[in-house]
Amino acid sequence: RWRRLPGLEKNSHLRVFLLLFRGVRQAQWLTKTKLVQGLPAAVLSIAENPAHQLQEQEEAVHRAIAHARLWETTEVAPRREKYCPVLFEDLIHLCRSMSMKYPSLARRMLARNYRIAATWERESTLLQIRGLNGILMNSMTPIPPIASKEEILATKDHVLETFYPISPTIDLQEVIVYQELNDTGFKDGYPYSHPHTLYFLESANNRPNRFRPEQLRAKMLMFAFGNALAKARVLYGNDPQVLEQPIVVQSVGTDGQLFQFLVFQLNTTDLVSNDGIKNLVWIDSDQKLYESAQCVPEVKKRVVTKPTGIYGLQPETFKKFLALYLHGTV
Amino acid sequence: MSLSRGVRRPIKLLIWAPCPSAVPQLCKMAACRGRRLLWHGRCWFSQDPAAPPPTPAPAPLYPPIVASHTAKSKVAKRRRLELFYQQTFALNADRWYQSFTKTVFVPGLPPRAPPAAAKAPEPGAGAAEALEQGTATAGAAASGAAEALQPGAAAPGAATATKPAAEAAAELDLGALRDLACDALLQESFYQNKKRPFLYRDQDHTPAPFLTQLASSFAAFLCKRNPLLAASSLDLNPEINYYWHHGEEVVVHGHRKGRVDPVRFQIDDKPHLQIRVPKQLPEVVPLESDLGDVPVVNHKPSKLPLFKKQYENKVFIGSKVADPCCYGHTQFHLIPDKLNRQRFKVANLEDQIEVVYRANGIASLFAWTAAQAMYQGFWNEADVTRPFVSQAVVTDGKYFAFFCYQLNTLALTAETIQKSSRKNICWGTDSKPLYDVVEDGSVKGFNDEVLLQLVGFLLNRPKEL
Repeated sequence: RWRRLPGLEKNSHLRVFLLLFRGVRQAQWLTKTKLVQGLPAAVLSIAENPAHQLQEQEEAVHRAIAHARLWETTEVAPRREKYCPVLFEDLIHLCRSMSMKYPSLARRMLARNYRIAATWERESTLLQIRGLNGILMNSMTPIPPIASKEEILATKDHVLETFYPISPTIDLQEVIVYQELNDTGFKDGYPYSHPHTLYFLESANNRPNRFRPEQLRAKMLMFAFGNALAKARVLYGNDPQVLEQPIVVQSVGTDGQLFQFLVFQLNTTDLVSNDGIKNLVWIDSDQKLYESAQCVPEVKKRVVTKPTGIYGLQPETFKKFLALYLHGTV
Repeated sequence: MSLSRGVRRPIKLLIWAPCPSAVPQLCKMAACRGRRLLWHGRCWFSQDPAAPPPTPAPAPLYPPIVASHTAKSKVAKRRRLELFYQQTFALNADRWYQSFTKTVFVPGLPPRAPPAAAKAPEPGAGAAEALEQGTATAGAAASGAAEALQPGAAAPGAATATKPAAEAAAELDLGALRDLACDALLQESFYQNKKRPFLYRDQDHTPAPFLTQLASSFAAFLCKRNPLLAASSLDLNPEINYYWHHGEEVVVHGHRKGRVDPVRFQIDDKPHLQIRVPKQLPEVVPLESDLGDVPVVNHKPSKLPLFKKQYENKVFIGSKVADPCCYGHTQFHLIPDKLNRQRFKVANLEDQIEVVYRANGIASLFAWTAAQAMYQGFWNEADVTRPFVSQAVVTDGKYFAFFCYQLNTLALTAETIQKSSRKNICWGTDSKPLYDVVEDGSVKGFNDEVLLQLVGFLLNRPKEL
C-alpha cells in the first residue's frame, strides 16, 4: 500500500531543498522543541574546569589550526574542501589524546558515511529524515539528561511559534514513501549504541553550496532530533509517549572557522499535537575559533605589514568543543 | 612553503600511461640540461638535534613560477593532469626500487631496544629468527615482543623470554587493544548499515575506514605509554613528494643527442594515514653499517616499466617547513583493489604478492625519510649526519606487513654515489593476516602477533622519552 505523504527528504546531495527559510525557528516547530540560548550549565562547567584541559592547550590548538589552514598542502593556501576536514581531524585528535586522563574515553567510535532514517507525524503531516548526514561519534554509555524534571514539565507552557499564513512545511520536499522507516544506521548488538555527538563540516568551496549559519543550525537540530528519535524508537517502541529517560544528542557544525554548538534533549515522541511536553535544545551559535589565517604575508610598499600566521585565536571555542567531547564521561 | 622547483621545458618524447596507484610511482624525468636544481641559492644548513630549533624559514614573498593552469600550452595541460597513481603492477619492482634508492632490504624487523637498556645492533637475520621463534605460541610472542617494550628489561629482544606472558600482556592491556581492533573491524564490516560497495571500490567500503579507525584509536590509547604520540600530528591522505637524481643516461634523440644526463626520479605518494612527530625516532643501527648488498639492475628504468612524464619537482613530507612536527613516525598504506591478492593468484603470480608490499614500503619510506632530511637541510652534496628513521604499515585490510626504514645517505647522484659507501636500510616482514574471517558479529582467528607488532611500532620513541 502506498499513500501520498509529504515528506522531508533530507539527503546531503539534495541540499537545494533544505532551505528552511526560517532556520532554527522552523526546525523548532517541526521537532516540537523549545530553544534555550547558550550551552547548558553542565557543559559549561566542564569547559571552565582546568582539570579538563590538555597540556599547553593553546599552543596545541594553534598548531592544529596552522596545520589545517597554512601547512598541509603544497599550494600556497589550501581550499576549504581540504582545510575544513583537516581542522576537524586535528581537533578530534587533540580531544582523543585526553584518553590519557580518562581511559573511558576510549569507548567511543567515530562513524562516517552512515545513514539515518526517522519518521514522525506532526499535525497531520508525516515527516521523515533520511540519508547521509555527518560524522557521528558513538558511545557505549548514554549522556545523562541535562534538564531536570521540573524544567521538562515547564515546557508544557511553552507555545511553539507558527508562521501563519505560511505553512512550516512549505519548503520541504514532497515524496511518496512506501515504508515508514526508523533506522539508527547500525544493526542490533552494536556495542557503541548511543549516539553522542554529530559533526557537520560545511566544506564546500563556494559560498552558495555551503549552509549559512542559521540554516546550518537548523540542519544540526533536525539531524540531532532524527538520531535521538531513531534511538528512542529502538529503545521504547513506536508508540508516541513521554520518555522517562530523555535521550541527549549533541551536535557541532563548522565551516572551518565558525563553530555552532548544539545540545538536544528528546523528552517526548508524542509529536502530533502542538501542546504537551516539548523537547529542549541549547544552542551556542557563531563561535569563532580564530579571526583570520594569513597564508601569504601582506606586503605594502615592500614592507611586510602582516606576516603569515593565525590571528585572533579564541581558546574558549576549543574549550567548548572539548567539553562537548568529554560530556557524558567526566 | 613547499620545496618544489619546476624545471619547465617541453620534452620531446612523452610516454604517458596511467598506471594504478599503490606504491608511489617513480617516474623517470626527461633529460634536462644537466643544470643542477636551484637549491644552491638557498642557504641550507644541517641541524644538530641538540641545538635549539632554529626560527622557521621565512615564507617566500612570491609564489613559485609555474606554468599557467588555464593556458592552452602543452606544459600547462600536463600540469593539469592527475599525477598520482601509486603502487605498481610491475613484476619484481622491489629490486628495482632498491637499486634506485640504494637500499638494502633485510627481512624481519629490527629488535626493539628498550629505551633505558643498551642497544645491541643485531643483523636482520637474527631479528627475523627472534620473531619467528617467538611466534611458536601466542603467549611466547606476547612475552618476547612485550618484554622488549618494557623499559629496563635486561636483554634486547632476543629469543629468550624472561617475563611471564601474562604479566607482560597485562601491563600493555592487550585485551583492551584487541577489543578496540575488533570493534573497529566489526563496525565497518558488520554493524554499520552500508550499501553495496561501488564497482572496484571495495577498499573504500570497509578496509579504508577500518584502517583510519584502528590507527587513530590505537594512537589515542597509547598516548599514555608514548608521550611522543600526544604531541604528534595525524594526517589523513597527506601528500608525500620527493625528487632525486640517480644514475646517468645518454640523450637518445633531439637537439641534445649524445649528451650525458642524470636520470631524474619523482615520487608522489598518498599514504592513507600518517603520524608526524616533533622528535626524531632513534637510529636502529649506526650510520655506516653495512647489512647487505644493493641489487644492481642493468636496465633503463623505463623497462620496469616506469613512465616518463613532466611533473612538478616537489619535495613534501605532508606539511610545510614551518610545522614543528617535521619528523615522521608511522605511515599506513592501503593496497588498492587493482592489486589485491586474488588477482595475483588467478594470474599465477603468487610470489609477486609480497613484492607489492615490499615495493610500497621501500619507495614510500625512502621518499618520506629523504624529504624529512631535505627539510633539515641535507641533500646529495651535503649528506645526512644522522640517520632518519621512519616506519610504515602496508595493508590491504586483512593482511599487514610492517616496514622500518633507516635513511643513511642521500648521495645517489652519479658523482656522489662513488664517494659514499653508506647504504640505506629497510627492514620488512611478510604480510600476515590480522584475522581469519568476520561472521555473525564476531571476529574469528584474531592474530595477536600482528597486533603486538603494530603496538610496538606505535610505541617507538626516542630514548629520552
